[in-house]
Amino acid sequence: MSRTLSRRRLGGLLSHAYVWFCLLMFVLPFIALLNYSFTGPQGNYALENFKYVFGSFGSNLVWSFKISGLTLVLNLLVSLPAAYALVRYPFPGKRFLFSGLTLPLYVPGAVLGIALVLTYNFTYRLTTSMWGLVLAMTVGTFPLMLTPLVVALKDLPIVFEEAAQCLGATRWQAYWRVVFPLIGPGISAGLLLSFIIVFNEYLVTLFVHPTFITTAPLRVFGLVRTAGLLPTTAALAVTMQLISFVAVIAFFRIFGTRYLKGTYLI
Amino acid sequence: MARVRLLSVTKHFGQALAVDDFSLDVAEGELVTLLGPSGCGKTTTLRMIAGLVEPGAGRIYFDDQEVTYLPPHARNIGFVFQTPALFPHLSVAHNIAFGLSVKGGKKEAMQRRVDEMLALIELSGYGERLPAQLSGGQQQRVALARVLATDPRVLLFDEPLSALDRNLRDTLKYSILDLQRKTRKTAIYVTHDQSEAFAISDRIVVMNAGHIEQIGTQTDIYLRPATPFVAEFIGANNSLAGEVIRVDGQGDEAFVVVSAGRLSLRCKGHPYGQFKAGDPVLAYVRPENIAVLGDSLGGGYDNVVEGVIDRMIFEGATAQLRVDVGGLEFRADVSGGQRLTLIERQGRVRLGFNDVTLIPAPDR
Amino acid sequence: MSGEQIVVAQPATLAVRDVRRRERTARMTSLTLVLPAILLTLLFLYYPLVFIVRMSFTLADSFLSPAGPTFTLENYVVMTGRYLPNVLVTIKLAGLATLFDLVFGFPFAYILVRRVRYRDLVRGFMVFPMFGALYIAFGMRFILLPGGLATPLLKLLGAENAQVLYGLPSVVFAMSIFTFPFMVMNIGTALSNVDPTLEEAAACLGARPWQTIWRVLLPLTRAGIVAGSLMVFGWNIGAFAEPLLLGSIAEQRTLAWTLYQRGVVQTDYGLSTTMGVVLLSLAFTVTYFSLRYSRGALVE
Repeated sequence: MSRTLSRRRLGGLLSHAYVWFCLLMFVLPFIALLNYSFTGPQGNYALENFKYVFGSFGSNLVWSFKISGLTLVLNLLVSLPAAYALVRYPFPGKRFLFSGLTLPLYVPGAVLGIALVLTYNFTYRLTTSMWGLVLAMTVGTFPLMLTPLVVALKDLPIVFEEAAQCLGATRWQAYWRVVFPLIGPGISAGLLLSFIIVFNEYLVTLFVHPTFITTAPLRVFGLVRTAGLLPTTAALAVTMQLISFVAVIAFFRIFGTRYLKGTYLI
Repeated sequence: MARVRLLSVTKHFGQALAVDDFSLDVAEGELVTLLGPSGCGKTTTLRMIAGLVEPGAGRIYFDDQEVTYLPPHARNIGFVFQTPALFPHLSVAHNIAFGLSVKGGKKEAMQRRVDEMLALIELSGYGERLPAQLSGGQQQRVALARVLATDPRVLLFDEPLSALDRNLRDTLKYSILDLQRKTRKTAIYVTHDQSEAFAISDRIVVMNAGHIEQIGTQTDIYLRPATPFVAEFIGANNSLAGEVIRVDGQGDEAFVVVSAGRLSLRCKGHPYGQFKAGDPVLAYVRPENIAVLGDSLGGGYDNVVEGVIDRMIFEGATAQLRVDVGGLEFRADVSGGQRLTLIERQGRVRLGFNDVTLIPAPDR
Repeated sequence: MSGEQIVVAQPATLAVRDVRRRERTARMTSLTLVLPAILLTLLFLYYPLVFIVRMSFTLADSFLSPAGPTFTLENYVVMTGRYLPNVLVTIKLAGLATLFDLVFGFPFAYILVRRVRYRDLVRGFMVFPMFGALYIAFGMRFILLPGGLATPLLKLLGAENAQVLYGLPSVVFAMSIFTFPFMVMNIGTALSNVDPTLEEAAACLGARPWQTIWRVLLPLTRAGIVAGSLMVFGWNIGAFAEPLLLGSIAEQRTLAWTLYQRGVVQTDYGLSTTMGVVLLSLAFTVTYFSLRYSRGALVE
């Protein structure tokens, strides 16, 4: 009896150990970078390194936030009506349309990159504008905004809109006063996912960015390739990850994990 | 307080016919109930009156205004759903004021109205609560207040009590009736529950499979069902299929002799002038109209039949006696002292009854 | 019925036309609502993809030449010849990473779904790989440096630092970290749909843990496993940073990087777009089958 008990105990222990080992593997690169970002010529150089980040890399960070912000706004503007139409209006070919709209997720970054840079060069002539980059980011993350919105709308009983309309609200009023507030969590989930991806994006950016824009991840990539491993680069990478991490945790805290079902995070 | 008229309203969903040639005239201040089993089209009809669904054909009028294709927000109606559907992100007060605020209401006026409504539903002081903090019954009352706040000209109810438990249903039923009487608003009510319909309606529209079976008051429908469906759906009924043998007498004294199975029935008390010999008919006898006769009694009843007791179901205040009369099963409801004497009764028994409702049998 | 009746004389055809017109307005509204999304995807995804397909049939940078582009199948021929190793190495790396994810991901998913109660905490950690393969590769490069964190471990295994750093194992490892959560999510969903009492029933019937897994769990979660594997594979064939930062010359031949080299650096548009098309076709095929296996259509 005691032999099987301890075997089960051992099994449980091993399971937990395994999980924690895997989790450690996830975080190890980050920890390594974090550790490295604290080093310098003499001992603890953390403060200097991070000051450098906000100084010299400051413009990169600003660009990252700017591009992310614009992308998020565009994503919202495009997805809000699309999601509503897909869920509430009947029209033929919906499933096909939805698949077509979420396809960008499955296109490898390099392929999207080369396709866009060539198109920008030869057809659209968008190579020197910030909007080229923003639109590239938008098309890549648009499905990540659309999906949580569609899920949230599907979960919202239609009776609320009907009640609002019967009380005298037009469709437009019913949407802004009743539907929009109630899908807030879904919208936030979409914003979070898009932000995480765009903020840390370097691959498509590499192909498509106009010369005067270098976002922070792109800077990291460039520096690693050219200058090798520098503590300051590590500090920048760490900063990026910390900002992203804080955003995710904040979302979990406010909304819980429910609204990210069906996406990468859950 | 508008008069509502539906003229030949029809609705298809794909191939299925949901509402078929529905015509109804509801007077100002009247409460009309659409009563019928699930799927009979009553909810679809109500939603067409509200504007949530567009009819395929036909017209709908509020007073003299045609509203057939008008969107719901332009009709000035009040719709009470099966679930309270209170907006979860708004307080009770904001919920009640919603209809007023979308039309651009002034703060003080709205506040006054909200207080009025809260007093009406006896929930004064609950204004700042959120819907999630209220019980089911309270939520439904707030839903009522919400629709009344905008002073609509027509009230529409879609089975508002079906989600509540029994006791709540009874109290809320009368609250609704009370409010309707007090505000004198035209109301159209949908339910599948007969007792609910009977308790509150001025008139009842019995529906089945998309069309109207009968329109009438409670007594009309119960005592003089027009179709076999109504006869069987409303209350309990014994039904016999038979054929008219002859019609004796004239006018109010006419009685029809019907042969059903091995029984011969004399039916009178209704204007049965339209029947002639050979017509196939359905004869209905309500269980409460059947008397269980002692051995000595016999007279006084137009019809007396004899059969064997199948079983007896003691229900408390009443008892059901199932009797096999020549192959046909009769149900007789007995109350009072007599039901006690029948508890152990077995064997043959004689049943007597007068009131027989005749309905022409539908064509095959 | 009381009151006068209004005689309704309306031709039937007019009523039908009325309804049709209303249906058309509804359809137009819905179309307008989806239009921005459609335009965005058409202009910035589909058209560019079509563009590169077309370009893949042109020779090098002949697209720019005043005489117009020269059309050729040469690029595709070259892909099966000189650049075949690139295709193969891409597939090999992706395949190995997928295998790695599968072997380590299945137990992880199982434990997560069945045994662990602090699931939200785990999810918090699983978020890290998502921030990008770049940081993983960068971090790992640092770890595997001489004097880095992994040095003691490597010494134990008797390996030379440089070898392990710039080679297949670390590339595959980094790639699999990035896609690990994908695999876990797919398998996890499939596992949570399997009734735990089935495992208990098997145990009561005498099956040992290994047998239960092999005969009960695996068949029932097969769809999730396949979907997850295909999804992970599809992601990994587009890997860019890991092979570049952690690999030797051999690994650096992956299609994504070669594409960049030939296309942006050397302006051989014909060849790079061909690589893009090959990469895209691989990804699409794999994703198509993956979606077939995973459950649920989000939109009816």
